[in-house]
Amino acid sequence: MKTRIAALIALTTIAMAAVALSQSYKSTRSVAVELGMKKAPVQPIAYSHELHAGQLQMDCKYCHYSTTKSKWANIPAVSTCMGCHAFVATDKPEIQKLAGFFERGEQVPWVKVHEMPDHVKFNHKRHVLAGVECQTCHGPIETMPVVYQYSSLKMGWCIDCHRSNLDHPTHPTSMDCLICHH
Amino acid sequence: MSEPNVFPRRDFLKLVGLGVAGAAAGCAKPPADKLLPYLVAPESILPGVAYWYKSTCRECPAGCGVKVKAREGRAIKIEGDPDSPISRGGLCPRGQAALQGLYDPDRIQSPMVREGDAWKTITWDEAIALVSEKLGAASGSVVALTGFESGSQRALSAGFAGLLGGRHVMWEPFGYEAVRAAAKRTFGIDAVPEYDLAAARCIVSFGTDFLETFAEPTAQARGFAAMRSKRDDGFGHFIAVEPRLSLTGANADEWVAVKPGGEMALALGMAHVIVAEGLGPAADRGALASAVSAFTPEQVAAQTDVPAESIQRLARMFAKQSPSLAIAGGIAAQGSQATALVAAVHLLNHAAGNVGRTLKFERTLDYSGLASFAQLGDLVASMSSGQVGALVVNGANPVHATPAWLAVADAMGKVPFKVALATSLDETAALCDVVLPVSHAIECFGDADHVRGVWSLQQPAMRALPMFDARPSGDALIAIAKGAGKASDWPDTFHDYLRSRWQSQYGRFGAGRDFDTFWNAALQSGGVHEAASAQSVRWLGAPSFDAPVRIGEGDFALVITPSNNFYDGRGANKGWLQELPDMTSKTVWGSWVELHPETAKALGVSNGDAVKIETAAGSVEAPAYLYAGIRKDTVSIALGQGHTGYGRYAKDRGVNAFALVPQSTDAASGALAFQSANARLSRGTAAMPLYEQQHEKNQHGRAIAQIIPVAALMGGAATGGAATGGAHGDTGHAAPDAHGHEGAAAGKPARDYPGHYPAGEGVHHVHPSQTRPGKYTEPMARPEDYREPVHAMSAYVGKHQVRSPRRNPVDQGDYKNAKHRWAMSIDLNTCTGCGACVVGCNAENNIPVVGPELVKRGREMSWIRIDRFEEKLEPGHSDVRFVPMMCQHCSDAPCEMVCPVYATYHNPEGLNAQVYNRCVGTRYCSNNCPYKVRSFNFFDYSAPEKTTFAFPQPLHWQLNPDVTVRSKGVMEKCTMCIQRILDGKGTAKDESRAVRDGEIQTACSQSCPTQAITFGDLADPESAVHLKSFGERKYWVFEELNTKPGVTYLQRIQRDTMNGGHA
Repeated sequence: MKTRIAALIALTTIAMAAVALSQSYKSTRSVAVELGMKKAPVQPIAYSHELHAGQLQMDCKYCHYSTTKSKWANIPAVSTCMGCHAFVATDKPEIQKLAGFFERGEQVPWVKVHEMPDHVKFNHKRHVLAGVECQTCHGPIETMPVVYQYSSLKMGWCIDCHRSNLDHPTHPTSMDCLICHH
Repeated sequence: MSEPNVFPRRDFLKLVGLGVAGAAAGCAKPPADKLLPYLVAPESILPGVAYWYKSTCRECPAGCGVKVKAREGRAIKIEGDPDSPISRGGLCPRGQAALQGLYDPDRIQSPMVREGDAWKTITWDEAIALVSEKLGAASGSVVALTGFESGSQRALSAGFAGLLGGRHVMWEPFGYEAVRAAAKRTFGIDAVPEYDLAAARCIVSFGTDFLETFAEPTAQARGFAAMRSKRDDGFGHFIAVEPRLSLTGANADEWVAVKPGGEMALALGMAHVIVAEGLGPAADRGALASAVSAFTPEQVAAQTDVPAESIQRLARMFAKQSPSLAIAGGIAAQGSQATALVAAVHLLNHAAGNVGRTLKFERTLDYSGLASFAQLGDLVASMSSGQVGALVVNGANPVHATPAWLAVADAMGKVPFKVALATSLDETAALCDVVLPVSHAIECFGDADHVRGVWSLQQPAMRALPMFDARPSGDALIAIAKGAGKASDWPDTFHDYLRSRWQSQYGRFGAGRDFDTFWNAALQSGGVHEAASAQSVRWLGAPSFDAPVRIGEGDFALVITPSNNFYDGRGANKGWLQELPDMTSKTVWGSWVELHPETAKALGVSNGDAVKIETAAGSVEAPAYLYAGIRKDTVSIALGQGHTGYGRYAKDRGVNAFALVPQSTDAASGALAFQSANARLSRGTAAMPLYEQQHEKNQHGRAIAQIIPVAALMGGAATGGAATGGAHGDTGHAAPDAHGHEGAAAGKPARDYPGHYPAGEGVHHVHPSQTRPGKYTEPMARPEDYREPVHAMSAYVGKHQVRSPRRNPVDQGDYKNAKHRWAMSIDLNTCTGCGACVVGCNAENNIPVVGPELVKRGREMSWIRIDRFEEKLEPGHSDVRFVPMMCQHCSDAPCEMVCPVYATYHNPEGLNAQVYNRCVGTRYCSNNCPYKVRSFNFFDYSAPEKTTFAFPQPLHWQLNPDVTVRSKGVMEKCTMCIQRILDGKGTAKDESRAVRDGEIQTACSQSCPTQAITFGDLADPESAVHLKSFGERKYWVFEELNTKPGVTYLQRIQRDTMNGGHA
């Protein structure tokens, strides 16, 4: 009898879930679905990582300098861009756009690319100092004219790496929930 | 076992989850977030890294040194500065809550001018022009009325008033006029003396709340803890002489329930015994003898209700335990002979030879220049008679903090032009013509020099909040003075003014450096200080000692007490402080009247019923709180509440007890005689709820709060009589048998296993099942080579274990590799119940304030609470115990095993973790937690669109970005500040070393003024927490449940005062 009731509940739930899912697929796409398509957003300035990190071989940490010092990675200040672009390629329209922002004293409204799930804390410094390459999570950033989110950044994806490095000789990982969820 | 083909529970949950996910996916996609970089990156500031700024606390006149933590340009936490000679690392709850003054949603937005009954917003330029013109016109009759000011701000205010041909009046409701007057009269120094509690072997407090609001509470609490920790010689007694047992008095070994107003006679009676019996030093003995000749123990006994034998016993003990210390001057004993009382206590100290040893004049508090209450009265009189042309109010709220008979509001009505410099529209600012919003202390520069030998600096920890158009009050005063055509030689900003004044400190301390180097170094260290030079004092003689006068009719004496939470009421607009339970009544968000249960019975009221207090000055109604720690002929009410403005958290909460203070002052000092009213009590008519946070203050023999006689800790030297003092049938009186101190355990049932309860009255749990051999347990048996994994460590080692398949802890993966076991020890001997840890935790962990109704229903969200247990509340030996209670991080946690979704689990480092995104809100864990330390989000405190939103703009600026803001439907609890643990471990990794002991501190352990809470790694045998947890006095709350807590409590040391001071 107990089994039957349980099965009945289960079937009802499945039916309800199926209806809900089909409805939702029809109307909109979730954030996750869009990320799976590796779609890059349109940025206010057509900045290219392919050019800077790829062709010019600039060190990532030249602009994103806080990745080794802080749990948060920084987006470079407009003044960091202008450090070079006050002199370099000043005739290009995109650079003039950048200079315009700087002269007007406006922050560049970059569109956020990487969406982490809620209730999770990621510490850039610990990963970078442990020798994790930027590309491990961000993908072949040096080939991206416009950056898109390469990895899912979902928990299963984090755990895959953490699980395989539990016995890392110098930087053993942890599988403890509390490390990220607090 | 379950049936084989039952639908698996986890699959069921997955399916349910799928349905919910589908429904959620149906919502529209939120717009893409923007990432806004800095335009120009500030030098040496990194996002995600906290910066600390040393500063000075301005929540009360004491001026403790603090550190303000800023993240991304927002101040998010205040802590005591360990280098400060005043606070030495701790900070009181009021100081911790200063942040909520900074981010008060009801701060004044912009300058305003009164137009009829409404306020009109104007610009600063218009406001300065208007105020300058009006003050210039009133030149010669301008009065600048401020709260206590120190250093440059004081010089500026005085200069400001002088330039405008007026005067500067500094006034504080708790100005300690009597303390200063008495020190001047008896020793020739106009200051609040330094009380060296740490050096004392016996302390007698005459109604002085030195652990709450009096003088420098943080420093005094620290000294008190040092004194109470001494036990080698068995001394360290503390006797509270007061008609109503305060929070400070609750820490005492003996409560002398003196007749209200009898404190002075008792002090003199004690001095009489000491002088007559020649117990003290010979100096001035003749002069002292003649001063106290009338106060024989027998005569004093009649005046004080204290038997002559007790007076003799106390006096002999006081003299014998030299150096001892008697303290007077608290508001709760400030009557019409306040100065004489303090002088009498000085006389007592002098007779016992304490002057210069515990009663010192080195680090004195210089409150000279503060107007007395009588002088404020003169000002009000001249305002009423039209002699004041313009009034500038800055940092004072006399309309709320004076009795109604002073008629400050009426007098303000007679002043043609009034301007207030204020952060919030308090009762005084609301009556002004122009209101200028000033910056909070965390936003501006300042300094303080009123502690002798200490010049502390106050600096902004963040840029001024953009939503408030505020300016530093110093800048505003300078601008007004310049606008009136004066002060042409002043710099334009108060910052420059401050720097120019610090040239004198530079001359003393800046040798070999240029000024900027010196200035920056001083800012970084919170100021400069030197060892205060000794001031030799000599006894100048005592004033005449007349009995205090009580005013009005009524059968009851009224005791009006300062508030540990709100001081004089200035803290009432802070949600944290409103929701921090008063540590005597354990009520929140309102007022209450304390009366003795027998008094209440005679009156026919029960707990929570409204009662009406009538004095000659006025009457108030408030709910009754039945409290055995008060004399039967006395009622008590606390100051602080009853605001009619000041902000949403303060407005219309409780009643203003200033309304009851009768028209009486201490003639010698001009202090307001708070304690001079007789009162009539009657049943009230208005129904007012009593919001109690803790409903039960009896532990019913459960040994939650334990004590141990000091004799049991002194080895064989015990006299054996100690255990008789407070025999109350609990395990605290029986020393742990492991230590073999048989003297103390004499006459008590032996503890044959941990958690044994002697049978007795009120003891409910006589047979704890889980530690007794029997059906559910088996003897603890481990293989010889068994090594316990660190995560399962607990200082508690049971002799029996629960018969269970999971009795052996996990020992693989992370759990095998872990090196730390985070744990805590809490010393009940030094916990004074102040509540600093509760507010510190609120600030660190984004804990919402839920309001009175929810607190009453037991739904407060705080992760740490302080339980108050009243074992014995009778005149004579009182026994009140405070137990800070938070998640015990059990190694065998009852909550973990009932969570259906593994949202709570035991982490490899011994923490009991709570994963919010896993939690589905069954609340099983809370049901199964014997400590009741889990709190459930019944409402969405974090959603701005909900009425329950707990962080209205800009309060949410205070939120700690390292801690998740929890949403509705999840359980939460103490994490032992996991974010701080991870930070500390990260720092150690960066420096390629192990974590140092003491390097990581939780918010509660850091904030504790007495360092009662120790946090650390239990697996490290050298750590402080290990030594304490495995040392003597250790016990665990509900150890019989075999939860193996990570929090070890240390028993309170009980000292007996009845046998003349022998241990």
